[in-house]
Amino acid sequence: MSYQDLTDPKPKKAFMLCNEAVARAVLESDAKVTAFYPGSPTSEILDTLYLLSADYPDLKMEISSNEKVALETVAGASMAGVRSFTSMKSVGLNVASDTFYTLGYTGVNGGCVLLVADDPHAHSSQSEQDGRFFAPTGHVPMLEPSTPQEAYEMARYAFDLSERHKILTVIRTTTRVNHQYAPVEVGEVKRTPFQKRNWRDVKRPYFTLSETARRLKGEALEKLMKIEAEFDSSPFNKIVNGEGRIGVITSGVSYLHTMDAADALSVKPHILKLGTTHPLPKKLIVDFITKLDTVLIVEELLPYLEQSIKAIAKDADCGLKILGKESGHLGYVGEYNVAVVSKALSSVYGVNSPIDYEAVLAKAVELKSVIPKRLPVFCAGCPHRGTLWALQQAIKGTDYVLNNDIGCYSMLQLEPYNLTDMMICMGAGQGISSGMQHVVNDRVIALIGDSTLFHAGLPALVNAVHNGHNYTLFILDNSVTAMTGQQPNPGSDFGPNKVTEIDIEAVVKGIGVKNVTKIDAFDPKPNVETMKKAISQEGVNVVISVGPCALWNDRKKRAAKITIIPNKVGKETCKSIYACVRDFYCPAIQLDMETRQTAIQTDICNGCMVCAKLCPVSAISSTGGA
Amino acid sequence: MTQYNILLAGVGGQGLMLLSQVMGDACTRSSIKVVVGAQHGLAQRSGSISAHVRIGDAYSPLIAYGTADLIIAMDATEALRYVEYLKQGGTVVMNSRMMHPPLETAPIVKNRQEKLTYVTLEQVKEQLGKVAGRVIDIDAEKVAAEAGNPRTENVVLLGAASALSGFPIQSEPLKESVRRVVPERAVDANLKAFILGQQMV
Ligand SMILES: Cc1ncc(C[n+]2csc(CCOP(=O)(O)OP(=O)(O)O)c2C)c(N)n1
Repeated sequence: MSYQDLTDPKPKKAFMLCNEAVARAVLESDAKVTAFYPGSPTSEILDTLYLLSADYPDLKMEISSNEKVALETVAGASMAGVRSFTSMKSVGLNVASDTFYTLGYTGVNGGCVLLVADDPHAHSSQSEQDGRFFAPTGHVPMLEPSTPQEAYEMARYAFDLSERHKILTVIRTTTRVNHQYAPVEVGEVKRTPFQKRNWRDVKRPYFTLSETARRLKGEALEKLMKIEAEFDSSPFNKIVNGEGRIGVITSGVSYLHTMDAADALSVKPHILKLGTTHPLPKKLIVDFITKLDTVLIVEELLPYLEQSIKAIAKDADCGLKILGKESGHLGYVGEYNVAVVSKALSSVYGVNSPIDYEAVLAKAVELKSVIPKRLPVFCAGCPHRGTLWALQQAIKGTDYVLNNDIGCYSMLQLEPYNLTDMMICMGAGQGISSGMQHVVNDRVIALIGDSTLFHAGLPALVNAVHNGHNYTLFILDNSVTAMTGQQPNPGSDFGPNKVTEIDIEAVVKGIGVKNVTKIDAFDPKPNVETMKKAISQEGVNVVISVGPCALWNDRKKRAAKITIIPNKVGKETCKSIYACVRDFYCPAIQLDMETRQTAIQTDICNGCMVCAKLCPVSAISSTGGA
Repeated sequence: MTQYNILLAGVGGQGLMLLSQVMGDACTRSSIKVVVGAQHGLAQRSGSISAHVRIGDAYSPLIAYGTADLIIAMDATEALRYVEYLKQGGTVVMNSRMMHPPLETAPIVKNRQEKLTYVTLEQVKEQLGKVAGRVIDIDAEKVAAEAGNPRTENVVLLGAASALSGFPIQSEPLKESVRRVVPERAVDANLKAFILGQQMV
């Protein structure tokens, strides 16, 4: 959707990304405080609200140092009486879960909504975590949209539900919902002025321990019983009437695959699409399954609905067959699509699919064998390329263990480096290094980005210094959180509000690290010696490699009308040594098949000069802008 | 159900998402049902990206294998990468430009005495021809330059696709959406690119 459409307060129908539709709903719901830490597939929600907050000064929008702080920020605002919102990716809620679980006991005040997005298929995550279990174990309600329109409507409703019941409300999505575009009908934006209030006017206790904890848990469960009654007649649970005595219960994107699969197979099951997935609308489910002999449960990841529905059916004495993952009709791994659901449905109905999807796939695999893989590589001009080239040289011949972390530099595990012994989750590289250095003879190396350092790296660094550990930490400071779309982090000098830039070197020194060196990421040769020295020293050593993210910096340059000047290869000087290809993998460098010399694609190269500095015959130089 | 499925394929940074924006916006304003499933990929440039544009009576944001009417690819290799989506006899409109990824260059350099070569446009066309009824390759880089802006390669291909018989969105709403979606200073070049693209089919 064009930004013009999004910010215009008038009701309208426009083509938008689900994440934009959610941001619009937050705006229309008059949420006052929003805070986020980025993570795919939710990042566009915060990117959109970042832009909108400039047009709507009564909307506070912050980028927090991590998801826990973001959730606490919006919970605090809600306790003080205003509406608030945060969103995070699946694993983000792990980080925020300590706060999340207790908020389930204390409740909230102003409508407080948390969107959490799972990533079936682990497209851009370290796991296929199923976040639905947070809702029942946290005693909070959960809504699951299938489409952008529904995500918009559910977000509007979630604020209302949360405020009426004084309960944190979760909207759970998956990648294929967040990254779906469709026409969405949105309402009017009517904002109220931001009014500060006095704590004494909104005050109520938000603490919990022993006796209070037991009482609050009971109260939360009572609220959920009331909400279940409301969900039994919620328009978000929809029945598509079919024929015969076979049915499907589904939710989220699986509902959409089911509709297409049934159509492709020309079968007409009765379909119950659940939009309220905690508490489940038991009465509605019982009414639906009583009329059936067989029901197929279609949901990605774990059998969350399937196991609950089996229990509901047993309690209601419904003797029908319940099929799904546990019967082997559907799998636990990866995301679903029309072919997957079609296979399950065709087996339930005993019919054949008009398209043999497996044959189509097999033929495609054969046809594609002539083309190379296009795996992610560091962008042209990425500062990590120079840093990691130097690191590779520095560790040659050393016995080491390399503990990586989460960011663009995670690609160190791919070609051409194939370096990485461990990568668990944000900030884990150092904690794991602490454990390893007690045991291994090798040098222990940890890698972390600036955003990840602020997110979860600092407690581990404090721990290592305090306990006198031995490892070398490389901090890759590219000024932004690059991998999720170059959002600012606490080390950035910009943000949605007036920000104070946190000086990484000062922080590290303040913690008590004695050996701290700062290097220029784009000057790889001299960095090799510096790194070797750092790796060989006892104690906690820190090397901070500084260089801006190319995507972000080039965008900034273009906005400031600064010309980006690419490099070129000198035909006379190039001896086809290929140093710029081997160990380097810059997407701007290809071969000219006629001369078999390297050639630089000038629309991709940003003139970072790293290849020029590493060419043994100095064949690469700036085009000078000509 | 009547539907028209378009698989968009390309390399990050080529402006592929703009095409789905333009088509989606045009459908919305022409009251045509549409859903797009985008594979945004990671932020890094130069990875493979795709978007599933489903026009008409469709629910899933993903095209079922073997049911795409059309593939529009910003790079010929990327058309072939998503060939499982193309229906037998479907159409491919693709850029003849091929960006050779480092993983393709590396083995050529490592085994230099074997004189390996990059995959060629002819090879890609031959493979695609085993499924497609029609493969149209366009030197979009050249046409975009002619339109006055090298960054309009995407719109050149859209123009070409819009000239196919059976393409479900009319040219006028598409052009109007180009106006709405691209930055103001680039509108003229993009509209020119669209028309030049149309003339290629
Ligand atoms: C708990 C958690 N939150 C968010 C993410 C999404 N995510 C992936 S990488 C990354 C941060 C990258 O920033 P940085 O460490 O600075 O590295 P860069 O990408 O800039 O090189 C984030 C937020 C995640 N994987 N886990």
